[in-house]
Amino acid sequence: MSKKYSVFLTVLFCGFLGLMVTANALTPDRDFSEVENRALAQRPALSWKAVRSGEFMSNYETYTTDQFAGRDGWTAAKAYMEKAVGKQENNGVYFCDDSTLISRFEEPDQKRLENNIKYVSQFAEKAGVPVSFGLIPTQAYVWADRLPQGAPNYDQSQVYSAVTGALADKVTLADPLWTTLPAHKDQPIFYRTDHHWTSLGAYYGYAALGQALGYEPLPLETYTKTTVSTEFYGTVFSSSGVRWVKPDEMDIYVPEEGITVTSHTYDSKGNPVEEPRQLYDESYLAKKDKYSMFLGGQQSLGVVKTGNTDKPKLLLIRDSYSDSLVPFLTPHFSEIHLMDFRYCKLSPSQYIQDNGIDQALVLYSVPNFCSDANLLWIGR
Amino acid sequence: MVFSSVFFLFQYLPLALLCYYLAPLRWRNVVLLALNLVFYGWGEPVYILIMFASTAIDYTHGMLVDRCKRRDNDRGARLAVCSSVFFNLALLFFFKYWDFIAGSLASAGLHFMPKLGLSLPIGISFYTFQTMSYTIDVYRGDAKVQRSILNFGTFVTLFPQLIAGPIIKYKDLGDQIDHRDHTAQRFASGVQIFVVGLAKKVLLANNLGMLWDAYKAVPTGQLTTAGAWLGILAFSFQLYFDFSGYSDMAVGLGRMLGFEFGKNFDYPYISRSLTEFWRRWHISLGSWFREYLYIPLGGNRVGKARLLFNLMVVWAATGIWHGASWNFLLWGLYYGVLLVLEKFFLNRWMERWPGFLRHVYALFFIALGWALFAVEDFSHLGPYLSAMFGFAEGGFTNGAFFYYLRSYFPMLLIAALASTPLGKGLWNKLGEKPRMVLLPALLLAALLVCTSYLVDATYNPFLYFRF
Repeated sequence: MSKKYSVFLTVLFCGFLGLMVTANALTPDRDFSEVENRALAQRPALSWKAVRSGEFMSNYETYTTDQFAGRDGWTAAKAYMEKAVGKQENNGVYFCDDSTLISRFEEPDQKRLENNIKYVSQFAEKAGVPVSFGLIPTQAYVWADRLPQGAPNYDQSQVYSAVTGALADKVTLADPLWTTLPAHKDQPIFYRTDHHWTSLGAYYGYAALGQALGYEPLPLETYTKTTVSTEFYGTVFSSSGVRWVKPDEMDIYVPEEGITVTSHTYDSKGNPVEEPRQLYDESYLAKKDKYSMFLGGQQSLGVVKTGNTDKPKLLLIRDSYSDSLVPFLTPHFSEIHLMDFRYCKLSPSQYIQDNGIDQALVLYSVPNFCSDANLLWIGR
Repeated sequence: MVFSSVFFLFQYLPLALLCYYLAPLRWRNVVLLALNLVFYGWGEPVYILIMFASTAIDYTHGMLVDRCKRRDNDRGARLAVCSSVFFNLALLFFFKYWDFIAGSLASAGLHFMPKLGLSLPIGISFYTFQTMSYTIDVYRGDAKVQRSILNFGTFVTLFPQLIAGPIIKYKDLGDQIDHRDHTAQRFASGVQIFVVGLAKKVLLANNLGMLWDAYKAVPTGQLTTAGAWLGILAFSFQLYFDFSGYSDMAVGLGRMLGFEFGKNFDYPYISRSLTEFWRRWHISLGSWFREYLYIPLGGNRVGKARLLFNLMVVWAATGIWHGASWNFLLWGLYYGVLLVLEKFFLNRWMERWPGFLRHVYALFFIALGWALFAVEDFSHLGPYLSAMFGFAEGGFTNGAFFYYLRSYFPMLLIAALASTPLGKGLWNKLGEKPRMVLLPALLLAALLVCTSYLVDATYNPFLYFRF
């Protein structure tokens, strides 16, 4: 190697490092990554204690990586390269047929699952009203035929068997969910880029729940489909890093007239606050998190009033799948009270008494039911 | 701090190079010492004290040995060497093996050693061996005593090889500590080796590591024979590219700072016997044990029984050096037995074998060895080995095996080719001109691809923290 050429290589390498250093110095820090749908690490505070424990350094490394200039471009490039070398997954998400991304369903923590089943049965004993329980199979089960051949994936029906065995004589099980959804698997019942079911999937869920909740579901033809977005990239898209799939389409079926939604929270001093919401909050359609259009996204306790005052009151203990289900339930109930125990720490049996609730439904998707660490509260 | 991280590559390294090259020549060792301490303290600041202690103890012992020798006091010099070895082994024993021994005794019903739960100081197995070699070399007259404690500290803490080797003997580095050339040629060759090492670690080791992680987590009831072999194949590549990638990065960084370190790996997987494998795998460790343990024990100039004993001692030590766990001891003894067999009769017999068969023989036993090395839990090791030998509860293959094989086939193929000197041969066949055009393009491409993996990397485990 001649001296001149060596100098050239040295300058090339140092230039690359210098370029990256400069780019990082010039790029302002971001609070949130729309693409990854999470808060990014911020510059950690410097203190003697944090340095001595090494916490500062490890946080600082995470910060440097999270705030790397052009982060979204780099992560997208990595996903493309993984695909190029034959990988059929990235960050735990499978690249499936029909432009679909599906998160792998890992074998659940059996201890947690047992506990969660126990909490549901404790709630059923205390509730004082009829309790139904529904477990929603998700893409990893219903669309298993779209997964890459042989892709490791735990069978969600084993979770369902465990639940059925333990709860059959304590609650009304919404079994038809496990036949109705698979029966319509050729239709777009789940988003291809998000972990939720679509409004169509929620309709079949609604139909499957009719028997347990005691209503006659309206036929699909009753509704007119309205497409509200064709640009939806959901959570699975975010975690996959994949950039080559088509966006999802979002539809709604049920008109909003005559329905009021109120979200109950507390202000910083602990006083109860009522915040009006809508069945469909279209302001979310301009954001990344478009699914939050349904009922305005996460809330601890929400009350939906329908004007059908002759109908019963339902308490729905749920995860976010219910946000798009609620519109279909409105004709059959006067009030639907939604509790999300990730945020809500009320005793549901007490709440049933205080609010004259007639029946209760516990409805979770399989992955959330297996992993939720807050169900402890429903047995209280 | 690990080399394969965004922080090292785009903050620490540029800053370190800048400080180092802006400093006047005679200040460079001091600047380097400061940089080394920041590097080491970054992970576990308290353990900088071990660096200070290690430096002070071995510096003093070196001076003592030198003084005794100059006064022809051989007894005193020997005593000082013994004391130095004692301190270094005590350090290593205390931090690395205390809990292991306490735990083993406790399971035998003896509870007089409490568990300490100390985290292992990074690289302790590497730097205690380096400092031990210093006093021994001074005693043997192989190295000059280092009179500057700052220079000595720079040797002890030298960041490129501090945490994962190669294990550099003072006699090979002493002169360079005192004087070294900083040429563009050396820097540029360092860049090339560093980038090759980075690519090995980030692109090959981490990638195939995910395949091994998948198989490591398979419950024994679902393990298949083909899957168990695929898992061990992935681990074999992961370990080799991880470790040799790290050594390459160390050599490269060393050159950027003006040092020359020896080669640590020489295509171990093309070996045709296990004896050859150990001449090609982790060369600096093998030569350390040969010089400071095997030969002092008498080497091979002893009777057969003593030779057998010597070999087993060396291999038990090699095994347990890799980690404070029974499986590493077992792995070391496994090689002890196999190498004794080769030495006493297999080698002569194998000379008549076709080359192909000898490769198969070597790779089979290397892979089997990695199973002992990788599966630390003995309750899992038995079923894993039976699965490899055809007694798998999950049958011979299953859907997951074919899924993983399909997904990782290109990576496995690349890894297999990269384990041979084929690429290097092709590169050397290219003319000077095409090489000069291709080289910068390849370097930049590798840096860009590695950066995208590092920015994405929530997955960047470092395998050598246990050593």
